[in-house]
Amino acid sequence: MLEVSELTVRYGGVRALSDVSFSVAEGSITTVLGANGAGKTTLVRTISGLVKATRGSVRVDGATLTGRSPEAITRMGVGHVPEGRGLIGELTVDENLRLGGLWRRDVTDRRRAVDEVYELFPPLAARRTLPAASLSGGEQQMLSIGRALASRPRVLLLDEPSLGLAAVILAQIMQRLVSLAAERRLAILLIEQNARSALSVAGEALVLSLGSVVVREPAERLAGDEALRHAYLGF
Amino acid sequence: MRTFLILTVSGITNGFVYAIVALALVMIWRATRVINYAQGAMGMFTTYIALYVISHGFTYWLAFVIALGSGLVLGAVVERVLVRPVEARPPLNVVILSLGLLILLEALAPMLFGGQIRSFPAPLSRVDLKVGSTQLYISPFDIFTVGAVLAVMALLVVFFQRTDIGLRMRAAAFNPEVARLLGIRVGRMLTLGWGLAALLGALAGLLISPAIFLYPTNMDEVLVFGFTGAILGGLESPAGAVVGALVIGLVLSYVGGYLGSELETMGGFLILIAVLMVRPQGLFAFGSRRQA
Repeated sequence: MLEVSELTVRYGGVRALSDVSFSVAEGSITTVLGANGAGKTTLVRTISGLVKATRGSVRVDGATLTGRSPEAITRMGVGHVPEGRGLIGELTVDENLRLGGLWRRDVTDRRRAVDEVYELFPPLAARRTLPAASLSGGEQQMLSIGRALASRPRVLLLDEPSLGLAAVILAQIMQRLVSLAAERRLAILLIEQNARSALSVAGEALVLSLGSVVVREPAERLAGDEALRHAYLGF
Repeated sequence: MRTFLILTVSGITNGFVYAIVALALVMIWRATRVINYAQGAMGMFTTYIALYVISHGFTYWLAFVIALGSGLVLGAVVERVLVRPVEARPPLNVVILSLGLLILLEALAPMLFGGQIRSFPAPLSRVDLKVGSTQLYISPFDIFTVGAVLAVMALLVVFFQRTDIGLRMRAAAFNPEVARLLGIRVGRMLTLGWGLAALLGALAGLLISPAIFLYPTNMDEVLVFGFTGAILGGLESPAGAVVGALVIGLVLSYVGGYLGSELETMGGFLILIAVLMVRPQGLFAFGSRRQA
């Protein structure tokens, strides 16, 4: 579904990503782990179109995303849960949710997609008319994921959803991602610093270091391999 | 008492015109983070277009609609052609560009329409009303001015709060990057925002020109007063801008009436300087955080 091949990004003279290749199949979760500065955020921002790739390609269902604008990429079926959640705090919960699918022409289905998010995350339904900034961290994360789902994406990119969340809430959200991938046949790319929780839900795991993929293993094996874990993930 | 009433009514009427300019400035500020110093001059230019239409024998109302429409187009073209290429640069570039546009329009207007001071018609009488034997201090045109501004404000509220395109525009203004990730074509929203702001400027020109006459720099003071009102309101808040502009209208009217009309412009600048020195965030800036 999502195919990244030989993706290379250079900022000035510095290589932020070198020859990164991987793919995420329909209905599966792939996690990208790595320390701060490893290139994780550059990777999502390049897939989103916010950063221009120097070389390589990103494709969804065979259609090339590389070189297109962020708004065009979203319209091709990529949903975003940006770093720091990217909510518009001044707007209400309902407005934030509606914004997710506002580019779509099918008005009836747009409304249905928003209603589905309220069913998926009932706490949001109770706070419809409140400003997004007033929500708790967990609710904000639900809203950010819900807003991405409102565009009925086929690929979902999440940039560090664990940030600032309590362990219990994080576990719930991770479980929600597993069922979303399975039920909606989503291809989910989960960028994480919190390796433990990401490995518990992902099928495949990549470790980025200094912009290169240094490990590419089934998540279960990476989680079980103490030597690898110590070397790259520090636990 | 009579003087006070007269000054109050004219202060409020003028204040509503400044409010529409202030709203235009706030709209551009929120979308592009710059002050459009050509906002007034664009309104002057579209008022000349209205006068041109009227002088060719068409009705005032047709000229009114054409002026508003050409404001919309002028604003959109300015954004697309002039602002877009320097948008990624520091905001100062757009500011300088808007100053250049101000000079350009004020030079172009006399070349196209003649430089002499022209009178501009009002669609309704500007003579104060009388009810029985009681003299009121408000004319039908004053009522029209206030009513038109209130109607436009109500339309703007509905547009921004109740329509999908208004929601898109707010999202694009609050956080352009996130808006793009949500599939919103932020560039188009900016074009529309500049167009709408220039439409407001066009309305201000049409409403104020019967009182101040039409000449290439006739909107300069109106811009300063609207700007002062917007600053007073904190630049972020449309409601604050309206209140700020009404305050400016009233203060200037009292200054002009009680202290001498030659002090009016100076009064405007004094308020502007005082606000910027004492409370640069504006009187109505209640925690205007930009992002969540």
